[in-house]
Amino acid sequence: MNDSNPACDADTDEGSIVARAQDGDLAAFEHLVHTYQDRLFRLAYRMLNDRTDAEDVVQETLTASWRALPMLSDVKAFGGWIYRLATNKCLDLLRKRSARAETITDPAEIHSTLDDGATRAPLEADPVASAEWAAQQDGLTTVLNTLPAVQRACWLLREIHGRSYAEIGVTLKINPTTVRGTLARARRRIAEGMSQWR
Amino acid sequence: MALEDTRRLGCGRSIDQIWAGMDQPPTSHEEDCELCQAAKARMQKIKEATVALRESDLHNPEMTLPAERTNSIMALARAEARRSKRLVLRGTEYGTVEISEQALSSLIRLAAAAIPGIHSRRCRIEVQSDAEMGSTHLTINLRVATASGIDIPATVEGLRQKINKAIPAGVGIDAGTVNITVEDLYDV
Repeated sequence: MNDSNPACDADTDEGSIVARAQDGDLAAFEHLVHTYQDRLFRLAYRMLNDRTDAEDVVQETLTASWRALPMLSDVKAFGGWIYRLATNKCLDLLRKRSARAETITDPAEIHSTLDDGATRAPLEADPVASAEWAAQQDGLTTVLNTLPAVQRACWLLREIHGRSYAEIGVTLKINPTTVRGTLARARRRIAEGMSQWR
Repeated sequence: MALEDTRRLGCGRSIDQIWAGMDQPPTSHEEDCELCQAAKARMQKIKEATVALRESDLHNPEMTLPAERTNSIMALARAEARRSKRLVLRGTEYGTVEISEQALSSLIRLAAAAIPGIHSRRCRIEVQSDAEMGSTHLTINLRVATASGIDIPATVEGLRQKINKAIPAGVGIDAGTVNITVEDLYDV
């Protein structure tokens, strides 16, 4: 990165960085990539449970965003827009997977998938507390994997990524009231699933 | 199943209300209501597991995009870099001097970065060359976001002067017409 490029100034608001990237400023685009790549990866990984697929989705999303950036009319909408692109790529991939009937349904296999990735107990924690923590984590991630894709997307976007009901509604092409209903159903299934798991 | 979650406890509170208040201390109703307390306790585990998952994913170095993926994204962006138009600054008997709109924009942005309370945004530059007169006239259209508390006319005037100095210093021609549009306040 070039020190003399004002695009990388930490104080610059995101709207201005987006506008510069729209003008073709690579340093500004790189700033956006660094801001969003890990968030999108965490979302995609939890949606897809596959590292390579998740990496592919993030790479495709950010590449597509470079091409489509000049068309984005509101620079402040970038965050919601990039989440929308990534979520819909995940949902498309899941639809393709289920069309090929390759969804993982065996709990043992789900568990082995999870072991590759993400659930680690915090270091230096009380052993009892950390065992309980791990059990809850495993319980939650396992149950998340059994949710229908749209419910899972809703839950992750709202509860893990803190996106607004309105934005989630636009992403999933449903109205905000339906978002609330979908979240409530996800919550019920998670409650049921977690109580069975433990 | 109804589309909306209309489930309510016997006391009339909805599950949604209780979930929304999970992070807050109990309300006076909840302090006395066993139904609410039980529902809250049931959901507490989900809330805790959700927060734990969010935090562990956030701090897990494995849950990040590998550097080679970032490199691929940037390599592709560079390869497909939008070629901005070239502006002829000067014609000489030995050849012409051209500058890309992007390079000139960077010069303008650098000038704008020196003014507190201004963030430059999109920049469009047009050039009218008069071959007979040997003159070049620039029209710079710069959009900016400003801080909310500042004196906008004075600050924008300061920006114009800064650009008026930076362009001749950098590329040896006058800045010409500088149109500045404040399109947003960045801190509201």
